[in-house]
Amino acid sequence: MQFELDEDRALLKNATRELLEKESALADSRAIMEEAPEGHAKDLHARLGELGYPGILLDEERGGMGPLAFVAVLHEMGRVAFPGPFLEVAVAARVLAGCEGPAAADWSARAAAGEALVVLATSEDPASADPAQPAATFESGRVRGTKTFVPTGAFADALLVSTTAGLVLVERPGAGWNAQPLTTIDHAQRFAEIAFDDPGELVAEGGRASALLADALRCGALGASATMLGLMERALELAIDYTMEREAFGAPLASFQALQHRAADMLLRTESSRSAVYRAGWALEAGAPDADTLISVAKAYAGPAARSVCGETIQFHGGVGFTWEYDPHIYLKRVKTLELFHGSTRYHTDIAYDSLT
Amino acid sequence: MDLQFTPEQEAFRRDVRAWLAQNLERPWNEEVRDPEHDADSLVEVRRRWQKKLHAAGYLAMGWAPEWGGRGAGEVEEAILQEELARADAPQVPNFLGISLLGPALIHHGTEVQRKRFIPKMLACEEIWCQGFSEPGSGSDLASLRTRAEPDGDDFRITGQKVWTTFGPWSNWIFVLARTDMEDRYGGITFFLMPIDQAGVEVRELRQITGEAEFGEVFFDGALARREHIVGAIGEGWKVAMTLLGYERGGSALSYPAEYDGYLGALRKGAEEAGVADRADVREKIGRLVVENEVLRGNGLRTLANLSAGIAPGPESSFEKIGWSEFAQRLTDASQDILGPQAQLTARSHRARADVDWAYQYLWSRAGTIYSGSSEIQRNIIAKRVLRMPTR
Repeated sequence: MQFELDEDRALLKNATRELLEKESALADSRAIMEEAPEGHAKDLHARLGELGYPGILLDEERGGMGPLAFVAVLHEMGRVAFPGPFLEVAVAARVLAGCEGPAAADWSARAAAGEALVVLATSEDPASADPAQPAATFESGRVRGTKTFVPTGAFADALLVSTTAGLVLVERPGAGWNAQPLTTIDHAQRFAEIAFDDPGELVAEGGRASALLADALRCGALGASATMLGLMERALELAIDYTMEREAFGAPLASFQALQHRAADMLLRTESSRSAVYRAGWALEAGAPDADTLISVAKAYAGPAARSVCGETIQFHGGVGFTWEYDPHIYLKRVKTLELFHGSTRYHTDIAYDSLT
Repeated sequence: MDLQFTPEQEAFRRDVRAWLAQNLERPWNEEVRDPEHDADSLVEVRRRWQKKLHAAGYLAMGWAPEWGGRGAGEVEEAILQEELARADAPQVPNFLGISLLGPALIHHGTEVQRKRFIPKMLACEEIWCQGFSEPGSGSDLASLRTRAEPDGDDFRITGQKVWTTFGPWSNWIFVLARTDMEDRYGGITFFLMPIDQAGVEVRELRQITGEAEFGEVFFDGALARREHIVGAIGEGWKVAMTLLGYERGGSALSYPAEYDGYLGALRKGAEEAGVADRADVREKIGRLVVENEVLRGNGLRTLANLSAGIAPGPESSFEKIGWSEFAQRLTDASQDILGPQAQLTARSHRARADVDWAYQYLWSRAGTIYSGSSEIQRNIIAKRVLRMPTR
């Protein structure tokens, strides 16, 4: 048995950290999150594409690297609160590769190469992003219906839309999407509500469509969990660093037991999340029969854990933790968003209940 | 990364399961409900069980063969403990002797001491209890005040120990006492003492569960022989700390296995009570399933690290906090979900037969206090892992 990553994946993880700390340091990426229309650096996404990152979930012969590499990369992206729809694009590239027809294969390849933003549009209910039967239809070659909380929304080059008929590939119309931006607390995302009355191509139906959506959820939940692991790991570092420097009543905050015990809980939650997230990634990679349950466990645990750690990080900073200038809020906002998507905590907890024999 | 057991380890698990099916007469949960039993006869059940385990080579498996073990690895030990927990086997009476004193003798004892004490400990011919805590020294163990005064070559012990698990049934006690009243750490010596002697009195201490498994031990000039000192005079703290740090992952999988059983019983109880479809019940139990699976993940990580030769560090504090606080959440949920029936004592009419929820609810309060309270564990994490300074 061995918990540590093997050499190849450890190298990938370290290389990813170096790249992101250099190219997407939070001090720089915050300006992009706040000011760039797309909310992320297009050139960096293209560069990640050249390096093969968005294709990480594809089969090995198409450049995929497997679930554990995926976990390691998303873990690193979490640490820098990496902005943009990387996770959603990587999932879409994989799902498209499982669809029928040359167009789907082509969009999969372009998404994997970082040349196009393609994401899934599945949610129709602003009160829940959990899997549900779609109301959107596909008839006579046209998609009709409204999808909400579409990641990267109006900026997507193509969307894979869930409908009553199956998954439909829709390319961005010449006039652009009929989209309303949904500005949320998360700086790193550009959600939109999109009303469709557009031509599309049915690329998966019936059992295949259901299986692909389940696979998208599986990968999305694993990636979101890994991202939250990185977010809470880094938030905890910020919290500890701050309490070491900041003095009150003539001593560093870190010397107060009221904070020490809470910091211990933050570490406990972070390390437990690490065990759960990497175990889930390993299980998926090894084809373990309980992989899906373990992914739900990871998502259901890491969400509340990360939310708690990042909330405490704000509290540890005191008043400056509530300022826009300091970084802790970036972490809490990302974490809270991720907790609601790719299967909410409640959704995955329910799956864990059903695993009980 | 690889969290899979080897084929040899899987074969070992099958052997243990087959052996348990042949040799465990009935689960502990059934023993404690048997109206024929009293506290003494239950100890006899446990004594017989230890002898069986010992005869089959399943006791102290990690020790070298010359000391009665089989030199087994941490993973095998964890698998054994997991299977014992799954089968709800009784706990052996000498668990403190085997987990704490045995390693101390192997690491710090003399050859004569090892030959004298280890075989009888394993065979359950002598039961050991631990004399560390005192009424005024719990978490701050080094503040202990029990005195050891020279008497010729030997020592006379005076003072009081408390929370002495299995004290009322023990023959021997391992004691930390002061050979120097001033030197906080260097003044402590580790003695082995027979209980049946003048100047030693064991009193039962009734717990919140109503049992008296714990005891208080009073020393009034009791004799401690020089040849029964483990390590040198003044090295008692060092010896005690190495053995408290001897956690080698044995319980990494056993608590989650035990809790699997409770969670399954809780779901069954909820179904029988007609509340299993309620969203709040599903969420509450589902949350516990998630947390228990995370405990198992932490345990597998500990074992994987041990297998890869990475020594366990302060993360054993994570494990301790994890299982002990989980048990409180689990048993509290059992009360809320199953209702008043979960408060019935085991032999009551209508008590649920699968788990003694009332007892478990009360017993769960002990886990966060003994073996280093949750507060001490959090101090360890804050100071040794996060390097937060002491005031």
